[in-house]
Amino acid sequence: MHTKVGPKLKTKALEQFQEVTKTLINPSLKKWKDNGGKIIGCYCSYVPEEMITAAGFVPFRMRGTGSTGTDMADTCVSSINCSFSRHSLDLGLRGEYSFLDGVVWVNSCDHVRRIYDHWKRKIDTPYLRLISLPKKVEEPQVEWFRGEILSFRDSLKDHFGVFISDDRLWKAIKLHNETRRLQRQLYELRKKKAPPITGAETLAVIVAGTAMPRAEYNELLKELVHELSHSEGHADYRARLMLIGGILDDPAYLEVIEGQGGLVVTDSLCFGSRIMWKDVDEKADDPISALARYYIADRPSCARMFGDQPRRSAFIQDMIRDFKVDGVVAERLVMCDCWTGEQFMIGEDLKEAGVPYIRLDRDYVSVGAGQLKTRIQAFLEMMGR
Amino acid sequence: MTTKNLRKYVYQPETFNRYRQERDYFNFLSGILAQMPDPMSQLSKEITDITVERYDQIVRCAEEGKPFVAGYFCAAPEIYEAMGLPWYMIMATPFLAASAPYLMEDIDGAEAMGLGTDWCTACRLSLYYIEAGLTPKPWALIGLIHPCDAGNMLHQAVKRNKKWRDVPIFASDPPYFEDQRGIDYYAGELRRMVAFLQENTGLKLDLDRLREVCKETNKQYEILADYTQLRRAHPCPHGWGVGGPQAFAATQVFQTGKPRGTKWLQQLYDDAEARVKAGTGPVPKEKIRYFWFDLLPFGWVFELMPWLESEWGAVLVMEMFGLQPYTPIDLRNEETIFRGLAKRNLYDSPMVRQARGPADYFASDIARVVKDYDIDVVIWPGHMGHKDGSASTGIMKEICNELKVPYIHIGLDLFDRRYTTPDEAKDKLSKFFTAMGLG
Repeated sequence: MHTKVGPKLKTKALEQFQEVTKTLINPSLKKWKDNGGKIIGCYCSYVPEEMITAAGFVPFRMRGTGSTGTDMADTCVSSINCSFSRHSLDLGLRGEYSFLDGVVWVNSCDHVRRIYDHWKRKIDTPYLRLISLPKKVEEPQVEWFRGEILSFRDSLKDHFGVFISDDRLWKAIKLHNETRRLQRQLYELRKKKAPPITGAETLAVIVAGTAMPRAEYNELLKELVHELSHSEGHADYRARLMLIGGILDDPAYLEVIEGQGGLVVTDSLCFGSRIMWKDVDEKADDPISALARYYIADRPSCARMFGDQPRRSAFIQDMIRDFKVDGVVAERLVMCDCWTGEQFMIGEDLKEAGVPYIRLDRDYVSVGAGQLKTRIQAFLEMMGR
Repeated sequence: MTTKNLRKYVYQPETFNRYRQERDYFNFLSGILAQMPDPMSQLSKEITDITVERYDQIVRCAEEGKPFVAGYFCAAPEIYEAMGLPWYMIMATPFLAASAPYLMEDIDGAEAMGLGTDWCTACRLSLYYIEAGLTPKPWALIGLIHPCDAGNMLHQAVKRNKKWRDVPIFASDPPYFEDQRGIDYYAGELRRMVAFLQENTGLKLDLDRLREVCKETNKQYEILADYTQLRRAHPCPHGWGVGGPQAFAATQVFQTGKPRGTKWLQQLYDDAEARVKAGTGPVPKEKIRYFWFDLLPFGWVFELMPWLESEWGAVLVMEMFGLQPYTPIDLRNEETIFRGLAKRNLYDSPMVRQARGPADYFASDIARVVKDYDIDVVIWPGHMGHKDGSASTGIMKEICNELKVPYIHIGLDLFDRRYTTPDEAKDKLSKFFTAMGLG
């Protein structure tokens, strides 16, 4: 049997979200920019984007979409650096990110933190900032990150002349929490026996959330969730899969997996559940502390966070149970040490739990459809599907 | 106070087999060096003897049920010394690799475990040794989550490893930038490390003893600073075989704050001074002065470094671990001591200094060394595990262009000769030296 899972639903909202994933500056962003709005690039999901929204700007998650080569970046970095860092830097060097008014990093990983070093030497984006992100998730780290967020607020004031009051920040937090709640509602629908949306479509929805003015996105997402609640679902799959890994923003990768009959019903991705499974506490005493606690201690953590692997593993195993997952696909970019280690550890945990598991290496731009198809087919067959 | 009951597992003598084997090798080496009376061989013999004694000390602790820990050079060894706490590094074997005939077999073993082959070989090996029961199990482990992702993931994997789940682990969190806030934060992390060590070993940190240890280390770094000045001479008094890496090992690993280490450093200085006065270097005629900006290729060091000297008259004048950027520790009170330790261990220690934070350190260290040591060529080996460094290669190249000094990036594995073979590395270096008109 060879069942393909393909799109069933065509809605205006979904089409708009899918459009957003195909370009860097999508129509909504262009309109925002044309009206004098400011856009700030964020190189990692740990950048407290609520602060950018509170400043009246649009936070934009950095990608390498549209890149076809790394010739210029390769003069700066080496072939043992990951393809995401090389492609996104290449776009920056070619001026494709000239629509940005600023770029903000955290010291995510050895590859991405070096893009900051090259960017500040070679690209004239007006505002650049690297926030020092702890690698542990305990109270001293929450307190440290609180200080970092305060400095970030001060630097936005110094550069853009915009004062971000606590009231403005609370409003932004509520807006972002609304996004998270809507995205979780979307994921809730995927728990159904016949989920009304594919993994590839869901990824497009999440990516769009990092590349559009937030209020506009929330309205469209509300519309989509409403439509999906009454839609027929996909029941013609061979297996329900969970996808875990680092940066993945290309729905085409999931289309290949789903083309083999493996419906991706949930994930642990930083363009996925890890950025919306928890809310920032709106009842906290002050918004800066609330943000610090959310990013360091509350949200499902990235592989780089030391001491939190048991919680990450439990998060994945809860997802497996709640979404009735048959098997787990772990993807990572070649040369990514964080996800090499994480894939190894979660692989051991899932082996103990008896959950089918496959590890895949990939390139950021090239989906590598042929090899991916073969690996997924073999995985599904191994599961007896 | 008894500390015996704090060990959380039963002593497993079999995990010491490999450790004893390595000790015996160094003992054998010491015997050979004893037959060579020249000062340089005797300097090496003293370091080798110290190594053997450290191995013995850990074995004795394990057998007698006394506390010992695994730690790191950049994780405040001054504190372990002040607590009277013996320690070793779980990453030690890869760094002794040239003397380990089983290295290739071990690397294959790590691969068979399913560890990604683009993950730093030193980290893969360390995890493999734990899984294979080849590493002594400590009472507690001080992990390292900087300067690189590979190290962070290694220690997460060790924490998760079934065989070591009963070994308590602590790692200090590193701030990214160098400023007073970062120093204060890291000093706080070191205090939390002390609390962790006290809780898990039963030993106590005495401030007066810590002050004494730090005072001795200040002396050691002062001698080291003078020694590194001597390496500016033409010809450079020492090559790759003696000096930098050993001085690093003495100050930050084997003899931190111990008078015996201070004495060894003084002997190193005296030998270098005598050679400068006599105009003697490691080769008959020094033709190329190079800066090797990383660790030495420990897996095949004897195949490359002597060849550079004999074939090209190329002398290693400075390398990453021999640099001396250390600030003396202010001994006035507890606060100044912990701040000093934070600065030294986070912002001064080799590799951690360059790789942890922004790439500016790569650029500034190159500029300083090239100018101060009259360097003819900068060699960036480009170890496959050093992703942050290789992501800085453009910056290193640009600073070398500005300084008008040739820069070469090889691309190799410091431990696995199959990645780039010694012959390939030699060929690449030869063609580059020829093209640049060096030698």
